[in-house]
Amino acid sequence: MKKTIKFVLAAALLASTATVALADGAKIFVVGGKADDPFWSIVKRGAEDAGKVVSAEGGKVVWLAPQNYDNLGVDAAELIRQAIDQKADAIVAPDWAPAAMDPAFQAVKAAGIPFIVYNAGGIQAADRLGAMNYVGAVDYLGGVAGGDYLAKAGHKSGVCVNSLPGAANIEDYCKGFGDGIKKAGGKSDVLPLPATAEGNVTAVAQAVRAYLLQHPDVDAIFATANLDAVGIVQGIAQAGKAGKAHLCGINFDQAILAQIAAGTQDCAIDQQGYQQGFYAVSILNGYVNYGLSIPTREILTGPGVVDNTNIKATMAGAKGGTR
Amino acid sequence: MTAGASISSNLGRLARRPEAGSLVGLIVIYIFFAILGGQVFLGAPGWSSWLNMAAEVGTIALPVGLLMIAGELDISVGSVLPASSLTVAILSGRWGLPIYIGIAGGLGVGLAVGLFNGLLVTRTRIPSLILTIGSMFGVMGLTLGFTIWIAGSTGVFIVPDPLTKTLLGSALGGMFQVGIFWWAGFVVVIYGLLHLSTWGNWIFALGGDKESARNAGIPTQKLTIQLYMLSGFAAAFVGVTQVITFGSAQVAAGSSFIFNSIMCVVIGGVILTGGAGSVIGIVLGTMTFAIVNQGIFFSGLDPNFGSIIIGALLLTAVLSNDTFRAMALSYVAKKK
Repeated sequence: MKKTIKFVLAAALLASTATVALADGAKIFVVGGKADDPFWSIVKRGAEDAGKVVSAEGGKVVWLAPQNYDNLGVDAAELIRQAIDQKADAIVAPDWAPAAMDPAFQAVKAAGIPFIVYNAGGIQAADRLGAMNYVGAVDYLGGVAGGDYLAKAGHKSGVCVNSLPGAANIEDYCKGFGDGIKKAGGKSDVLPLPATAEGNVTAVAQAVRAYLLQHPDVDAIFATANLDAVGIVQGIAQAGKAGKAHLCGINFDQAILAQIAAGTQDCAIDQQGYQQGFYAVSILNGYVNYGLSIPTREILTGPGVVDNTNIKATMAGAKGGTR
Repeated sequence: MTAGASISSNLGRLARRPEAGSLVGLIVIYIFFAILGGQVFLGAPGWSSWLNMAAEVGTIALPVGLLMIAGELDISVGSVLPASSLTVAILSGRWGLPIYIGIAGGLGVGLAVGLFNGLLVTRTRIPSLILTIGSMFGVMGLTLGFTIWIAGSTGVFIVPDPLTKTLLGSALGGMFQVGIFWWAGFVVVIYGLLHLSTWGNWIFALGGDKESARNAGIPTQKLTIQLYMLSGFAAAFVGVTQVITFGSAQVAAGSSFIFNSIMCVVIGGVILTGGAGSVIGIVLGTMTFAIVNQGIFFSGLDPNFGSIIIGALLLTAVLSNDTFRAMALSYVAKKK
């Protein structure tokens, strides 16, 4: 019995030295969302594409994701600890739930492993935790980009459709949109929908339509959810405002890309998840292998704008899994 | 003297109608928002705006109302709607099958959930409120699970052919959605079923006293199952029209239809304990509900307070219904 244990231990030791010998590049662990999540599959693709360079230099990228999103903060903190235990050379992780995850990030710092906060948390989280950098988008700036885009195109009387009053990120989008339009010399309002409209695209369409009929000067509309954007286009058409009231929205899916291609929607604001995975991994790989650094702190991957000038490339990217 | 007596007897008869309270409520609400909303609300844009809203929730409120008259509830309609939309989008959008197969699949989902609800309600002693909350979560979970599994995303898309779009998802004059006419069709059929057929009498009997209804030889189990299948079908139908209209089906849709449909029925004077109500009342209640919802946006009232106005309306409606019922009862008592 004892012999077997000794043998197993010896074998394990051999195996571990073998991996160490093989992988003299950077072993980078990336904590992210589930691979079947439409957004996270794109982030993962970015991390893997950057991982091609990592592999070429003898390292590897390991994607760690929770089984489900039921207990997200705690599960993600556990994944960060797993990465420490597996002797990561560098770690990339989002700060989804600071209360649950900050202790895990502090453990990374204590272990002396370089890390980057990406996707969620902002530069504030990176500063607080001592991370190298933050790679991601800021909701507020996404709204600003939408307001700026429409106002610069001459549509300066705006309204932000808020179908989830009270949700922090939606409030940020709407605040940003208003500020973006005001900065360009326009004005903006928020249209909050009542609880009876929740999850009902027809209610969104009819609310926007009624609002446009009652506020005939409004010519710039901002959508904060994918299905809302589809409803708003109908609302604009039924109000007889097609071509006069212009729509921009946060995020996109196939239906929204089709609307942009057809000209019924002017633009979509994208946080460009591919860039988040790609740059976080690239920066850490350069640092671990060659001591390279990026002095720019807070690497913003968004807002990117999708409009009729880049709709073809975006549609190709959506097909290829990078957008 | 005789003329006065006949007027008061006519008024009495009107007040005894279950929808009397709803009619008064509808008129008051319409005048209120007409004053605030002005010309746009009074014209075709205003009418089509609240009729478009009313058509969808009204189509679901009709069979939900029948169930409530029969003394049961159906919460699962909120999850049948997206389940049906996504079935159509997956079958005909993603897999490219002919649209009639997609629509049949979507409606089939509604009928199947209705059958399941009906069987469990009649075979177990679980109250239908709890049971259909359970089936609602079940259907939600299946919808999310299958959609992610098949499409890898929570949204699925479809570009319907022109004929289907015209029949189920277009708008007359760019304003009045065809759903309004489908709703009118549902109203006529369900009016006939409830008020002109024996089947309708059975529903009232079932809601009045289940035991007596069964003893009188009414096939109560079969009737209950049929009612649930009807509400499943109606919710699925609205799901089909939404996906054809908007071309996009999302997992997180439909939940507001649960309370909205019950509100329309209650504003329409259906008694929550069952046994009384009318199709005309449900239609009036639906219109009132839709006018308030859309009226807020036309009126210049702060939409942040929209939900308060809707809640106050519901309470007022129930109170006025009770008042009218009491008036009607006292009128009958006097006659004795």
